[in-house]
Parts: sequence; C-alpha cells; structure tokens
Amino acid sequence: MAPAPTLPVHPPNGPTAALTHPSAPPPQRSQKQMTKAERRELQESQRAAKAAAKAGAAPNGGQSKQPPKAAPAPLAATPRRQGKPSEATPKVPLTPGAKGRDTKGAPPMAEGDPLNARSLRIFSHFGLPKPVSVAKGDIHPTILRLALQFSNFKITGANARCIATLIAFKTVIQEYVTPPNNTLSRHLMTHLNPQISHLVAARPMSVTMGNAIRQLKLEISRTDIDLPEQDAKNALCQKIDNYIRDRIIIADQVIEETAAKKIKDGDVILTFARSSVVQKVLLGAMEEGRQFSVIVVDSRPMLEGKRLLSVLSSAGIQCTYILLPALGSVISEVSLVLVGAHSIHANGAVYARAGTALVAMMAKQHSVAVVVCCETYKYSDTVQLDSFTKNELAPTADSFSSFPLVKSRDALLTQNQINLEILNPLYDLTPPTSITAVVTEVGVIPPNSISSIPVALGRLL
Amino acid sequence: MSRAIQGPSAGSQRSVETLVSKLRRRQVVGSRDAALETVLVLRQVVSRAKFSNIDQLVAIIRSVGKRLVEAQPKEHTVGNTVRKVLHHIREEYNTASKGTAASSSKTTYTISNFVLQGQPRKQNVAPKSEATISLKEDDPDDPDSFSRALKPVLMEAIQDVLDELETVYDNVSKNAKDHIHSDEIILTLGHSRTVESFLKQAAHSRSFTVIVAETGPSYKGHEMAKSLSSAGISTFLVPDSSIYAIMSRVNKVIIGAHAILANGGMFAITGSLLAATAARVHSTPIVVCAGQFKFTPLWNLYHDFGALDFADPSSVLGFEEGSLVDKVDVLNPYYDYVGPELVDVFITNDGDHPPSSVYRLIKESYDDDDHEL
Repeated sequence: MAPAPTLPVHPPNGPTAALTHPSAPPPQRSQKQMTKAERRELQESQRAAKAAAKAGAAPNGGQSKQPPKAAPAPLAATPRRQGKPSEATPKVPLTPGAKGRDTKGAPPMAEGDPLNARSLRIFSHFGLPKPVSVAKGDIHPTILRLALQFSNFKITGANARCIATLIAFKTVIQEYVTPPNNTLSRHLMTHLNPQISHLVAARPMSVTMGNAIRQLKLEISRTDIDLPEQDAKNALCQKIDNYIRDRIIIADQVIEETAAKKIKDGDVILTFARSSVVQKVLLGAMEEGRQFSVIVVDSRPMLEGKRLLSVLSSAGIQCTYILLPALGSVISEVSLVLVGAHSIHANGAVYARAGTALVAMMAKQHSVAVVVCCETYKYSDTVQLDSFTKNELAPTADSFSSFPLVKSRDALLTQNQINLEILNPLYDLTPPTSITAVVTEVGVIPPNSISSIPVALGRLL
Repeated sequence: MSRAIQGPSAGSQRSVETLVSKLRRRQVVGSRDAALETVLVLRQVVSRAKFSNIDQLVAIIRSVGKRLVEAQPKEHTVGNTVRKVLHHIREEYNTASKGTAASSSKTTYTISNFVLQGQPRKQNVAPKSEATISLKEDDPDDPDSFSRALKPVLMEAIQDVLDELETVYDNVSKNAKDHIHSDEIILTLGHSRTVESFLKQAAHSRSFTVIVAETGPSYKGHEMAKSLSSAGISTFLVPDSSIYAIMSRVNKVIIGAHAILANGGMFAITGSLLAATAARVHSTPIVVCAGQFKFTPLWNLYHDFGALDFADPSSVLGFEEGSLVDKVDVLNPYYDYVGPELVDVFITNDGDHPPSSVYRLIKESYDDDDHEL
C-alpha cells in the first residue's frame, strides 16, 4: 500500500531562504527595484511553480531538507495563503494567522478566500500524517521496515507497536559498533536518536513507545563504562527483554486473571474495536469454562473489530457484531463493558481508540460497568482535558479499503470538493466520570486514584 | 335508509392497490414521498367516492388508510397523512353543516368554562365556504346530492394538505437564520433533506461550519457532506467514532427525524441517540428539523429495543468475510429511539415547539377517533 498522499514541498518562508535557493529563476526586475512585498510575492509564485513541478517527481527527497522551524517567519502583507504541510509535529501548535492551513493532500489552494481558510483551520493543529522520507543519516533497515509498517497501519495497537519497536532496537543495538574515542553509554543514544525520529515521522509515537524508550535511555546511561562492548550490548538486550516480559507479557497475564474474575456465567460483554489485552481476557475466561457472549462494536476508519471477531469466534465464543451507531439498540442487554486503552492519564482519563468515549458514555447512562484493561507502563503523567490537545489523523478515506463492497468507491472521492474536508481522528479521550474501574497488574483502581500508580509501582516511570 | 357502506370505487381501488404494493416492497423511500403518494391516492379516492353521509365517507377513507398502514407499518407518515385528511374533512363538514367553526364559542371566560372545555382548541381550518351549504344527508330521492355539495370543499381541503407537504422544506427553513449564528459549528447526521434545506437556507445569510458524521452502515453522511459543500458551506466529514471527540467544539446538533411520537420522543436514523447523548453530556443544544406530517399519535412503550426497523446485515458484515458470516450474529438496526429529554426543540413547518408540547399539537391536528385506523 502506498503511504499517505504526497504533499507539495515548500521551503520555509522568509526572504533569506529564497535568496539562498540555488535554482530560483532571475526576477524580471532587479530585486532592489521591487518593493519588499512584491519580492515576496514573486518568491511565493516561484515556490508554487517549483512545488507543482516537484509534486510530480519523487516526493521523499525534499522533506528531510527542511528542518522544522519552531518560530515561523512572519507572513508578508499579502493575505494570500498557500497550502503548506505542517512541518511541526502534532505537538507543536501552529500559531494562528501564520503558515496557513493543512492541505491534506489536496492541491495547494493559493487563492482560497480567507473565510474558507479560517473555518478549515479549526483542526489544523492536528497535523498531517507525513510520508515516510529517506532521512538524514543512515537508518537501520529494520527501522526502515518498521516505519513502513507503522505508516501503512500494518502494525497497530499500543502494545504491538511498543514490542515491535523494542525488538527492532535490539537488532540495532547488536549491530552497533562504538566508534573509537567514544563510550557506548554516551554515543549509543546519539546513534539511536535519528532512528527514533524516523519512526516518529512515520507515525506519531505512542505513549507506550515513549515510556519504553525513556526506560531504555535510562538503562543505557547506567551502563558500566568498564564493561566490554559485547557484554554491554547483551546486557541491554537482556534489559529490553525483561521490560517486555515484566511490563507487558506478565502484566497482561495478571490483568487477564483479575478481569476474568469479573465475568460471570450468562454475561453479555461489550467491547469496542480491538484491544490485545481484552482479547486475552476474553479468551482466558473462555478457557476457564465460563459461559458468556460478546458484542463487538466496530467503527471506521480502522474497522479493527473484525480481527477480534474472527479470533473470538474461532475460539468458540458466541459473538454479535455491530457498528457503533447501533449501540443504542443493544446497550440495554449488556452486563459489562471491557475496553483497552492507548494510555491513561493522571486524572483518570483514558486515551483510547476513537469511539471508546461514546461506548463508555452510553454504558454509564445505562448503569453498566465500564472496565478498562491497561498495563501500568501505559501511564502518562500529563493531564489531558479533551480529545483535541493531542490526537492523530488517519490518512483520508481513499487509502482505507475498509468500506463494504456495496458502496462504490467513486462516491467517496471527495478530494476535489473545495469546501469539504475529511477528518479521521484515531483517538479520543474518555473522561474519568464514564469509567468504573481500571484493571492493571498492580490492582483494580478507580479512575480518581490513577495518579497513585507510580507510587504503587515503587519506582519512577 | 342509508346505503350500505361501500368501499372505494373501482378506479381508486387500483391506485390504492398500487400504493399498497409499493409500500410493501419499500419502493417508496422517504417519509415525505410516502406522505405525498398517500395524499394523491386519497384525493383520488375521495373524488370518486359515492357517499350520502359523512360517516360513509369517513369509513371509506379509514378502510383505505388501514390497508395502507398495514402495508408498511413502519412508515408512520402514511397513517399520519390519512389522519390529517380525515381531520380536515371533518372540519369542513362541521363548518359546512353548522355554519360556525366547531369550537370557537366566545362565551364569557370563566374558570369553569376553562376546566370544562376539555378539548384544546382545534387547529382552525379556515372554512372554505362562507355561506352554509344546504346539506341534505341521506336524501332518498337524490343520494348524490350530499356528496356533490360537499366534494368541492373536500377537494380543496385535501389540496391544502398537499400544498403543506410540498412546501414543507421551505417552511421549515423560513427562520433558519434565526437559529444559526455566525461561525457556529454544527453537527449533523445522515442525510435528512429537511436539515439540508435548513442549513442551505441559513447559509444565505450566515457563515458557519458543518460537521457531518458518516452514519454507518448506510454512510448517508457522504451525500449530505457533498451536497452541503457544493452549496458553499464549509463541511467536515468525520466517522461516527469521533462524535464524542469533537463534541466539545460543536455549538449545536441539528438532526432530522423519521417520526415524532406523542411523548415528544422520536425515531431517527441510527446514531442519533449517540449524538444526542454526547451533546447532553456537553450541554450542547439539540435541534430537530421535521415536517408536521411526522407527528405520530403513538407512544413508544417498548423503547428499550428502539430499533424500529432492520436493514440488510451484509452492509455491516458482508459475505466477503467468509466463514465469519456463519458463526456471528450481525445486527443492523435502521432507527434509534431518542427520548424527549434529549431533544431541545422541534423546528417544524408550523413553528418551533419544545418536546413537552408535542402531545397538544397531536391533539390539535388529528382527531381522537383516528388514532387507531
């Protein structure tokens, strides 16, 4: 599958960049004779022409040359806005009135009326999914492959991504050779950083990956300087294995046992999309011989519930499958809601696949318990208040062949509509009021005590 | 002696049968279209009916209505239209035979009158004829005199109903710009033509943004988004899963209805319950745009399983999934029941009404005898 549609590449704004641009064609009049505004207009038109030419060719080369500018240069007096890809990662908000808006793959709307641009800017801070580029420095082939798998959504899910990342790093570490006059504990980190940035460029980092990488960096910095290189590398790989085993695999087992106790015979369990932990819980409860049925609720854009559905039904669990809008009709039959999470926050809010908040809200309205199954390594000590602060947009509909066959693909080609934009947020935030309890490997915790998880673990996360 | 009650005449029988089979095969799609076809059929029935007193006519129409409702009980507008026509016919008859409108007794207004009045003021159907028509019922010499005298008046009344149906979108959208202010962000679901015309009308004088939820598995939201954006409204198309996520930035939820029930609740396209509940949680107003022909004298006693109708499950999990299809139950309800506590206002072609006054509107537009056809 091709990665996200390519974006026209623009060098950063400002007269300095244009003057140093090697292939700018000579202006009609000498630059000194034109006013500053006219010069800037000319630069922008030249840039647009160049971008149009470049958009046809391979797009990957251009991206890496533009380092993200944290402070965008002030726009000239011309109100004309050109579509620009957001160079900053989703976490750096675009200042309003600065670099125009995201294009999401549509051709740059240079002459878009200011009214239009303003309304479509509402969600501009979400940022665009960027195409995977050939980055600076040499990226290990394992990391390259992993980044491609991330950007094509072949590996999804907080746990899966974290495990895949750590295993890839193990390979990188084993093949790493400390350059002379350097110590492993200091140089390995600088070696890993471009690999990490490449992965982030493919898809924004998950909280699990972030926590795991932070732990890895801590371990690297703690490596004994006197240790021979191979021993140090082996020790690091061992630490990585221990992390995966303790924080993920064994944690999942404990969660599975604890949550399975909540399932009684005759229960109807509702789950949303696909969580690896919830899958383990349900299969574990099935093996213990409990009789229950499962309702799998699914939604676009990912339609991950189908995978869970096939696993559960092959195990012999009686399943019902519905799409999210149909939730209102079945919620009165449900006895327990089990969902997974991408991360949990200090105030008890759960950041999970988009749609989880709706499921939790409806369940709470009908007095059905909502249980979140989540390992402690997913804890993030930030506090998020709504789904906008941090989110990720999936590539637009055409990249996803997740529509049922009854709908013609042409009906979905909305790229050419001027006033229409497609947004596919992948995550949303469930407030702590909709959650009954969070099952972790250190216990079953009510949402307002989530901030005590680091204390419960006895160490800093 | 009055003649035996006759059914509709042969010619109109055919048109009734055609509509019945169309309804049964779901070839008539959309509440307004169903209502329009029903009115046309009723007009034909009335114009060809032979009756010598009002009860015969009412019986004819009721039998036709019963057949139509039984053909497609889920399409409530059919029954509503029949009731509306009956109401108008009775009004016209009362005006013609008694000379004054049925209940405009302007006596002195005392508390006892108020309490004893019972029936709320009926919707005043302007009397078509100023002078009293001399109606001779059951005239043995000239059995057709009654129908001859009354028919022109009845046809005009039915034409009124037809006109109201045809101008429903315009009338609902009349005050659209008063309900939407500039730079609002509006959430809508599915493809309701009433909401579409409402928003397009408002777009003439206001600039706002619309977020359309896809509404699986019919994905009608796509057509709505395309239609709105081509009318110049800046539109976002989002999947249903993000309704809660974006609700904190939405200023109003505007949805359409399939049928509005007597308690103020409504049946709407599946997904409406999710949007309405999420809006309540965020204290966002919920506005429902619907024509008056959707008001149904029904109470939803079994609302827990609100799904009124089910659609084809293959659009949820199709046969391309292979072996899964055998082992898994698939549910595809087409409608949601949204309770009256989740709706803030109904914007109809007859004005804006809160859900708590829907029962009174129904009492005014339909006659009590007609609740059961």
